[in-house]
Amino acid sequence: MAKMMLREAINKTIHDEMERDKNIVIMGEDIVGGMGTAGGPEAIGGIWGLTGGLYAKFGANRVIDTPISESCIVGAAAGAALAGKRAIAELMFADFVGVCLDQLYNQMAKFRYMFGGKTKCPVTVRITYGAGMNAAAQHSQAVYSMLTSIPGLKVVMPTTPADAKGLLTTAIRGDDPVMFFEHKTLYGISGEVPDGEYLLPFGNARMTREGNHASIVTCGQLVRAAEKAADALAKDGISCDVIDLRTTSPLDEECILDSVENTGHLIVADESPPRCSLASDIAGLVASKAFAALKAPIEMVTAPHTPVPFARELEKAYLPNAAGIEAAVRRSLAYRH
Amino acid sequence: MSKLRALTMPKWGIEMVEGTIAEWKVTAGDRIKKGQVIALIETDKIANDLECEFEGTVARVVADAATVYPVGALLAVLAMEPATATEIEDFVRSFRAAAGSAAAESPGTAAATATAAAPPPTTAAIPKNANISPPARLLAEKLGFGVGQLRGSGRRGRITLQDVDQASKPAAAPAAGKPVSVAVTTAALDVFHASAYAKRLALKHAVDLSRLKGTGPRGRISRADVLKSAATPPAAAASSQSFTIEKFTPMRKVIARQLTLSKSTIPHFYLRMRVRVDALMALRERIRKDGGKPPSVNDYLIRAAALALIDVPQVNIQVHGEEIHRYKHADVAVAVATDRGLITPIVRCADTKPVAQIGSEIRDLAERARAGKLKVEEYAGGSFCVTNLGMFGVDEFDAIINPPQGAILAVGALQRRFVEDAGSVTFANTLKLSLSCDHRAIDGAVGARFLSALRDLIEKPLRLIS
Repeated sequence: MAKMMLREAINKTIHDEMERDKNIVIMGEDIVGGMGTAGGPEAIGGIWGLTGGLYAKFGANRVIDTPISESCIVGAAAGAALAGKRAIAELMFADFVGVCLDQLYNQMAKFRYMFGGKTKCPVTVRITYGAGMNAAAQHSQAVYSMLTSIPGLKVVMPTTPADAKGLLTTAIRGDDPVMFFEHKTLYGISGEVPDGEYLLPFGNARMTREGNHASIVTCGQLVRAAEKAADALAKDGISCDVIDLRTTSPLDEECILDSVENTGHLIVADESPPRCSLASDIAGLVASKAFAALKAPIEMVTAPHTPVPFARELEKAYLPNAAGIEAAVRRSLAYRH
Repeated sequence: MSKLRALTMPKWGIEMVEGTIAEWKVTAGDRIKKGQVIALIETDKIANDLECEFEGTVARVVADAATVYPVGALLAVLAMEPATATEIEDFVRSFRAAAGSAAAESPGTAAATATAAAPPPTTAAIPKNANISPPARLLAEKLGFGVGQLRGSGRRGRITLQDVDQASKPAAAPAAGKPVSVAVTTAALDVFHASAYAKRLALKHAVDLSRLKGTGPRGRISRADVLKSAATPPAAAASSQSFTIEKFTPMRKVIARQLTLSKSTIPHFYLRMRVRVDALMALRERIRKDGGKPPSVNDYLIRAAALALIDVPQVNIQVHGEEIHRYKHADVAVAVATDRGLITPIVRCADTKPVAQIGSEIRDLAERARAGKLKVEEYAGGSFCVTNLGMFGVDEFDAIINPPQGAILAVGALQRRFVEDAGSVTFANTLKLSLSCDHRAIDGAVGARFLSALRDLIEKPLRLIS
């Protein structure tokens, strides 16, 4: 065990994996960090500081700075993977996923299927996402709901340094394209990370609080808000399950349904806007598969159906928070029969 | 002191929560004296005069006759001195029921009092242009629920059906308790390929996950796997147990639910009577002597019960909530014991059928009941039930009503008894009957009339065979 930040866990995992497997390449915008500046290569180590030290250790053939073109990054990674490499692609902002959507959803996600299972496409697309850093409407979105809806893509969202290591290792070693979502506001959080090999299987949600009165299902940065809400409610004698989904595709349906069967109250907290979202997907799942267990309408705590505002105060109001989740739990429990 | 005074629904006795104005004795503009009767008010127990406690003029009659109002609700406005229409209007609008009265607690009252003054009574509370969905408006009007204070949860604050539904119901008790722990207890089990809940259950039931083979995707251990393992106790423990555990069968569940409901919600009362069956026995003996095969005593009793139900139709009923369903013919249920439990098939229109036919129908129904081959329509419904444990030597017993039937007759064993007969003492063949009635719908005297009609039919059995 070693205590480190989530960003360090990601950096170290990439180092470890690239060292272990010479076949792995990584590419993205400015991942060498500082190339062409006065400080020279590695002066920065990527704008999020996630790829530091890679260039020095593995060289220009395996650590590739690309033009500012998401199509190029994902397309090249997919091509390299088809040709036998194992690729890690980095998108600096999830918001630009639209630029490379064809490469993602119509190429990468379909290769194995279209070629009758004769090829594979081992690409891990690391994507920085989420609001809370005052980065405005075009650099703050949570687009995981959109990608979760595409068959052929796995969607992963670590919330702790240990999970980042375990899930990223599984993603890199897997033979299918994985969308690996990293929340901007979680890079700085610290936690114990297991030493040595550590793989977490996809589709296994993490229970971070245990209770009997309500089930709070969430992912990404809202896991911490949900935990805060659960801790506050626990002081009033209300105990909640808090489920960190870890991966939204595959989805640990069993964990969600089991929990709701026990509590009868479901609160879904989702950072993306509410329509056709992860929240509505899970609400639909529970309504169709655990209907009899529900004791109150499902509460969805989501961002509003608007772009992410720039103003700090408005962004704060836009994002779901612990108070909102706590209120939703109380509302659900106060449902009048 | 204001020149206007409210006349409200009085509270007569601690149980009264609402009352109905049976009749207004005054109209607006009437001059009234202290002690004068203003209205006749009915509660669920009594009807009584509402007297005025002071002198004045009836400024306005707010409440409608033949309508139910909670205690404390505004019924009329009385003027001590002349008042203008606006003053009266303001008084009615600003009237608030006294705290603690039923009207103050009833969500419908604000609307009821505010709207009672204006025709039509319920629709006026919700303005035409209110931001409310049509189904929500219908519900609010139906409930007489004022939506003025309601904040809608729909788009742009639109009031939805659910908003009205929730706001019109009493609030649940606020959750408050001692602090609890929500710490994750399963961290040590993270190495197992098992669902989060499976791990939790494994801890609860002390199941060793390493012993389990998961049946989920890729061998994942599921909740069901753990529960299955927890439910099979080790063999040694089973043999030392002095009893076995058997879950309720679906039929047993139905019996349990029905009879619990019956015995805990229906006010039963019991009437017992000993009847002589000598004439009945003689009748059967004569049939036997004529070379026939007489119907059983029980067959005659079913026939007698059916005719008594026609004679005393107040017992030939089903009770549904606050409704009594009366029947033209007597559908008599007969309790049949089977290996799986009690079932009560029904002899339809037993009042129209000869005893022999009733007998053969009962034998057919009972046989198929024991084979589990009854159709639903053969045991659903009925207005009365006969249950007989005489063949086991049971002298007498009281039965539980099988809802929605109104009554049940319990028949005991045939007994020879000394009776006084025309000044001498003689042996008589007798039966003990016990009638259980649902007092919500059947009063004691009615039950007694039924039982004596039944006795007459049994003791003078000619009508049974005519």
